[in-house]
Amino acid sequence: MTQIDWIILAVTLTGIIAYGLYKSRTTHNLDGYILANRSLPWGLVLLSIMGTQASAITFLSAPGQAYTDGMRFVQYYFGLPLAMVVICIFFVPIFSKLKVYTAYEYLENRFDGKTRTLTSLLFLLSRGVSTGISVFAPSIILSSLFGWNIYWTNLFMGGLLIIYTLSGGAKAVAYTQRLQLIIIFVGMFLAAYMVVHMLPKDVGFTDALQVSGKLGRLNVITTGFEKGNGFDWGDKYNIWSGIIGGFFLALSYFGTDQSQVGRYLTAKSLTESRVGLLMNGIVKVPMQFAILLIGALVFTFYQFNSAPVFFNESQLVKLENSSYKDSLAVAKNAYDEIAKQKTATVISFTSAQSELQKDDNFNELSKLQYKSDSIRRKIKNWMQTKEVGGDSNDTNYIFLRFVVDNLPVGMVGLLIAIIFLASWGSIAAAINSLASSTMVDFHRRFSKKIITSENEYNLSRWYTLAWGVFCIIVAMYSYNIGNSLIETVNELGSIFYGPILGVFLVAFMFKRINNGSVVFYAAAITQLLIFAIYIPAKLKIIGLGFLWLNPIGAFGVILFSILLNSIMGKKKNPA
Amino acid sequence: MMQDDTNKVPLFKSWNQWYVFVLVFLVLLIILFSIFTKAFS
Repeated sequence: MTQIDWIILAVTLTGIIAYGLYKSRTTHNLDGYILANRSLPWGLVLLSIMGTQASAITFLSAPGQAYTDGMRFVQYYFGLPLAMVVICIFFVPIFSKLKVYTAYEYLENRFDGKTRTLTSLLFLLSRGVSTGISVFAPSIILSSLFGWNIYWTNLFMGGLLIIYTLSGGAKAVAYTQRLQLIIIFVGMFLAAYMVVHMLPKDVGFTDALQVSGKLGRLNVITTGFEKGNGFDWGDKYNIWSGIIGGFFLALSYFGTDQSQVGRYLTAKSLTESRVGLLMNGIVKVPMQFAILLIGALVFTFYQFNSAPVFFNESQLVKLENSSYKDSLAVAKNAYDEIAKQKTATVISFTSAQSELQKDDNFNELSKLQYKSDSIRRKIKNWMQTKEVGGDSNDTNYIFLRFVVDNLPVGMVGLLIAIIFLASWGSIAAAINSLASSTMVDFHRRFSKKIITSENEYNLSRWYTLAWGVFCIIVAMYSYNIGNSLIETVNELGSIFYGPILGVFLVAFMFKRINNGSVVFYAAAITQLLIFAIYIPAKLKIIGLGFLWLNPIGAFGVILFSILLNSIMGKKKNPA
Repeated sequence: MMQDDTNKVPLFKSWNQWYVFVLVFLVLLIILFSIFTKAFS
C-alpha cells in the first residue's frame, strides 16, 4: 500500500470511530444501550439490518465464491424476501405488542422459563462462534498484507472491535452502520467499474460477461438436476435449496436471532419495523447479485491477466520453504505458460466474428482452464501435507489479492477500509445482541440482587467485553476451518437455527400446545437429530446440503411437539 | 418508546399489497436471473 492508501484508510476509520463516539451519547440505561430507546425510523432500521448481515465476510468471501464456484450462491438469498413477509405478519406484531427486549423473552410468556433458557443458550452458542469467525475475516487482511502472525493480528483486531463496540450502544451502531453502508456501496461500485475498466480496450462489459459465462461463472440459476441422476440433495446451492432452505434459514435468522431482532426492535413503531424489513426483502437479492458479479468479473480479468497460482501469499511462501520448492517452481512455470495461452485464446474469443470460431476458442479455453485448475489442485494438495500445514483454501483471499495487486492508488486504501467498516458494523451489532441476551435472558432472571438501571447498563458493557474476548478466542481457532468463511458461518447457523425456529413456529401457530416441557424436549431431541444428520453429511457419508438442515430442524420440533403433546395429554387425561 | 401502530400504511393501501409487491419482485428477479444465466451460459 502507498502512503495515500494509508492516509485514506486511517482517515476513514478514525472518522467512523469519532462519529460512533459522538452518536453514543445515548441515555445510560439498558433500553438505550440495547434498543436505542425504540426511536429509529425505517431507513435506519433497514441499514442496520443490512449492515448487521453484511459483514467483512460478505465483501471478502462472496466475490471469491463467485470466482471459484460461480454466482449460484445468490440463490441462497431467494428465501429471504419470503421470510421478511412471514416475519412481518407473525413475528413483529407480537414482539412489538409485548415490548420485549429479546425474542426469547416471549417464549417464557408463551411456554416456560426453561424453553427460553434453551433457545437463548443455542443463540448465544451459535452467534458467539460465528461472530468469532467474523473477527477472523478482517484479521486475514492485515495478516496477508503485512505478513503478521495471524494470532497476534486476531488479538489486535478483536481489541479494536471491543473498544468500538463498548463505545456505544444500539443507537451508535445503527448510525455508524448508515455511514458505513454508504461508503461500502460507493467503494464496491468503484471496484466493479475498475475491473471492467482494466480489461483490454476492445473488451466491453458484455464481452466480459460472455467469457465469465462460458466458463461457468454466471450460473445464477441452477436446478439441482444438472448431473442427470435426479435431484442432487448434496448440492449446496440451487433454486430449491435456496427458496426452501434459504427461507427457513432467513426466517430463523431474522425472526429469532437476537442480533437481527434487536435491530428492528429499535424502530419507533410497528410500521417502521415492517417497512425496514420489507425493504430489506427487496434490496438484499440484487445487492448480493452485484457483489457476486464483481467476483465473476474478477475471474474474467484473470483470463486476460495472469492470476496468482495461489492467492494466499504467506501460505505460498511456506510452500517455497518446504521440500516442495522445486516441484512448485515447475508447477508455476507450467501455470504461467498456460496463462499466456489463455490470454491469447480469450482475446481471440472476444474478437471472433463467427459462432464457429467462438465455439472453437471456447473449447480451447475450457481445456486450458481445466489444466490450470489441475495445477492449483496439486498445489493445494501439497499444502495439506503435514510438512506445510495451514489453510489450503484461498477463496477468501482472491478479492483481497486482486485489490492489492491491481487497483490504483487510493482505491486500495478505500477498499481495505470498507472491509474493516463492514466487519465493525456487523460484529458490533452481534456483540451488542450477545450482551443483551446475556443480561436480559440470564442475569436479570437468575441474579437475586436488585440493581439500578445505571448498574444494568454498566453490567451490559462488562458482558460486551466478555463476549468480545470470547470472539477473539474463537477467531484464534478459525485459521484452518476449510471452506470459504461465508459458507462456514451459514453452515454453523443452519445447525442451530432450525430447532430455534421450530420453537417459535410452535409458539405462533399451535395454540393448543401450551406445555413448556413438550416444546423443550422436542427442541432438545431435534437438536440431537440435527447433529446426527450433520456429522455424516459433513463426513460425506450421506449427501445433504447444509441448507436443508433448517427445514428439517423446524419441522422436527413441530412434529415432536405434536407427538409429545398427544402423549403427555393422554397421561394427564386418560379418559 | 415504540408507538402503537396507528400510522397509515406507507406507499400502498394495505400491508397485503406490500407483501404481494415483495413476492412479485422476487419472482421477476428469478425470471431475469434465469434469462441472464441462459444468455451467457
